[in-house]
Amino acid sequence: MISVKNLSHSYSNDDKLAVKNISFEIEKGETFGFLGPSGAGKSTTQGVLTGLLKQQDGEVIVAGYDVKKVQNERFNKIGVSFEQSNVYSKLTAKENLDYYAKLFDVPTRDSVELLRLVGLDGKENDMAGEFSKGMKHRLTFARSMLNNPEIWFLDEPTTGLDPAIAATIKDIIKEHAAEGVTSFLTTHNMYIADELCDRVAFIIDGVIKLIDTPKNLKLQYGQKLIDIEYTDNGKIVKETLKTVTEADRRRIGEIVNNHDIQTMHSKEATLEEIFIQVTGRELV
Amino acid sequence: MKLLSSYFKEMRIAARGFYFYIELIMAVILLVILLVAVNEESVSKQKEFLYYDMPPAVEDYIIQKEVEKGALKLIEPTEFKMKAVEFEVENRETDELTSYEFEKEIYNLVTYEEWDPDTGKLIKTAYIAETEEQMIRLAFQERKIGATIVIDDSGERAFRYYNQGYETERLVNLLYILHNKLPEVVEASVDNQNVRKLGEVQTLNNRENLVPVMVVFMGSLMGFFIVVAYIFLDKTEGVIRAFAVTPSSVWKYLLSKTMIIITTVLISSSIIAIPVLRGQPNYPLFYLLLIISTFSFAALGLFISSFYDTISKAFGVLYFFMIAMMVPAFSYFIPSFDPLWLRYFPTYPLLQSMKEIIMVSTDAVYVLKTSGIFLAGGLLLFILANYRFKKTLTV
Ligand SMILES: Nc1ncnc2c1ncn2[C@@H]1O[C@H](COP(=O)(O)OP(=O)(O)OP(=O)(O)O)[C@@H](O)[C@H]1O
Ligand SMILES: [Mg+2]
Repeated sequence: MISVKNLSHSYSNDDKLAVKNISFEIEKGETFGFLGPSGAGKSTTQGVLTGLLKQQDGEVIVAGYDVKKVQNERFNKIGVSFEQSNVYSKLTAKENLDYYAKLFDVPTRDSVELLRLVGLDGKENDMAGEFSKGMKHRLTFARSMLNNPEIWFLDEPTTGLDPAIAATIKDIIKEHAAEGVTSFLTTHNMYIADELCDRVAFIIDGVIKLIDTPKNLKLQYGQKLIDIEYTDNGKIVKETLKTVTEADRRRIGEIVNNHDIQTMHSKEATLEEIFIQVTGRELV
Repeated sequence: MKLLSSYFKEMRIAARGFYFYIELIMAVILLVILLVAVNEESVSKQKEFLYYDMPPAVEDYIIQKEVEKGALKLIEPTEFKMKAVEFEVENRETDELTSYEFEKEIYNLVTYEEWDPDTGKLIKTAYIAETEEQMIRLAFQERKIGATIVIDDSGERAFRYYNQGYETERLVNLLYILHNKLPEVVEASVDNQNVRKLGEVQTLNNRENLVPVMVVFMGSLMGFFIVVAYIFLDKTEGVIRAFAVTPSSVWKYLLSKTMIIITTVLISSSIIAIPVLRGQPNYPLFYLLLIISTFSFAALGLFISSFYDTISKAFGVLYFFMIAMMVPAFSYFIPSFDPLWLRYFPTYPLLQSMKEIIMVSTDAVYVLKTSGIFLAGGLLLFILANYRFKKTLTV
């Protein structure tokens, strides 16, 4: 559904690249995660893929359309949820969706139903300008589903939302995935990537470091870890140790022999820890 | 369809914002000023310099008759401080040039008020010069109409006018109609008179004369400024990015904005023009020019706003354009200030065209030509703006 070859992008149109020579393919029905810290180039990539940013280099095919050519009708198949919500503050939630629906040539979903889906029921006739940040974000998110998109671009879909609402949004994304919608999702939250994505790409400084399924990544890079809490001179100390390195194993034995163990858990490495291992950088 | 729904959406947003009402309230305020503060007749300020080219006895007889009719009223003589001056007068028929050279001096002129005996209203003040040269000099210095009154072969009074020189033939003819009143006389006069250049022709009353200025600045300036304000409101909200990922095109978005401005301008201009001018203007031309000029200035606004992401950054440029647009108003009100370069300011032909439209005898060709040029310029700016907007979208 999406094919990107050797894509680079520079905002200043010079050799200062926000995205450097990236390539990837997204299959139909796949949820593809772009995971990386702030400024990595996630939104820039989405911008080129959605045609908001001019494609300068490489080859980008989305839903069978070459992005370089201006073919507005491709947007009938595409839904875009923006990182920064952008709705008309002088229109009500419902008016925002109803107006937007008229811009498509394909059947659109009922605005009231969509608002209910994202937990904005009862707010249909409130001005979007009076909405909280999270509510505006949900309205932007709801708007991206209006045209029943085959390809769905989600830039940080859950950032800044409270956990309950984030869970609702995640459920909606999962339902769409089950229905066969192809999604391109950017996030710097590894839990989201882990939970929702069939495959993830690690991107940092505009470069894709690797692409794989979360499961494979964990198998490949994830060693078992052990969290130990013990008392040392009356103080509680916590340590996380790997089960595979010699030094750590010796240290575990040492603690068990010499200290009073409070708790001891074994756990799998998270995607975040793998990210740090692979890129040497944290996801902030 | 998409354009229409965008238009209705924009209209709804406009109706909920305050720019829309600013413009309407402005229109109402201007109308009230026109109707209350500007005297419709207000020709009392109008001056006319006359020279009676006939034996003094005949002159006295004619004037006496007018005074008895109540058409003329003798008032205090008026003092004119004349500057030293040199100028030329061209005779339209013979192309003959007459040069004049004068020293500084003071004239004390017999002054009459001209009244309309039927309505009892003051029409203008007439100053009676002692020589034709004196009259020409006065008309030249004061930038007013000058006329020599002669008795023609049939014993009728006829006028030899002096005007500025850039008036059209049609306007000059109009002058005869206004002053000689009788159409039959007009024909004869137009053929026989020597028409010379000098002075200014006033065929609109003061109230009417203000309408073109208000309507033009309402359309161009307000349209320009408000479209920019709307665009920056949208830029802050980022809605244009949402629009850019729909099957609808950016130009429809831009055009829907422009249409809102045009709607607002049509309403506000009508508020001013209709009560003041009633049936006088050529309304099809009036609205045509208004739509086209507002479109062009809105396109200019769109184009400029595509270069900036906040209104505060755009302020300098906006100010420059707004001031530049206002400059032709000086020439409109001060006929002696009419340098050639001023005619290249877009609002200059616009003001002249509006004036033409309001006048009884409209020069439709001139108005259509102006409209055509504005349409071409507007379309070009609109295309450029569309290109710029597509280029400057961000994620
Ligand atoms: N409009 C712009 N003009 C110039 N540079 C930009 C612009 N937008 C982004 N950049 C630069 O491009 C790089 C990538 O930014 P991008 O927004 O794609 O990052 P991101 O991965 O989406 O980050 P975040 O998680 O903060 O959203 C950054 O270095 C940023 O400074
Ligand atoms: Mg981003």
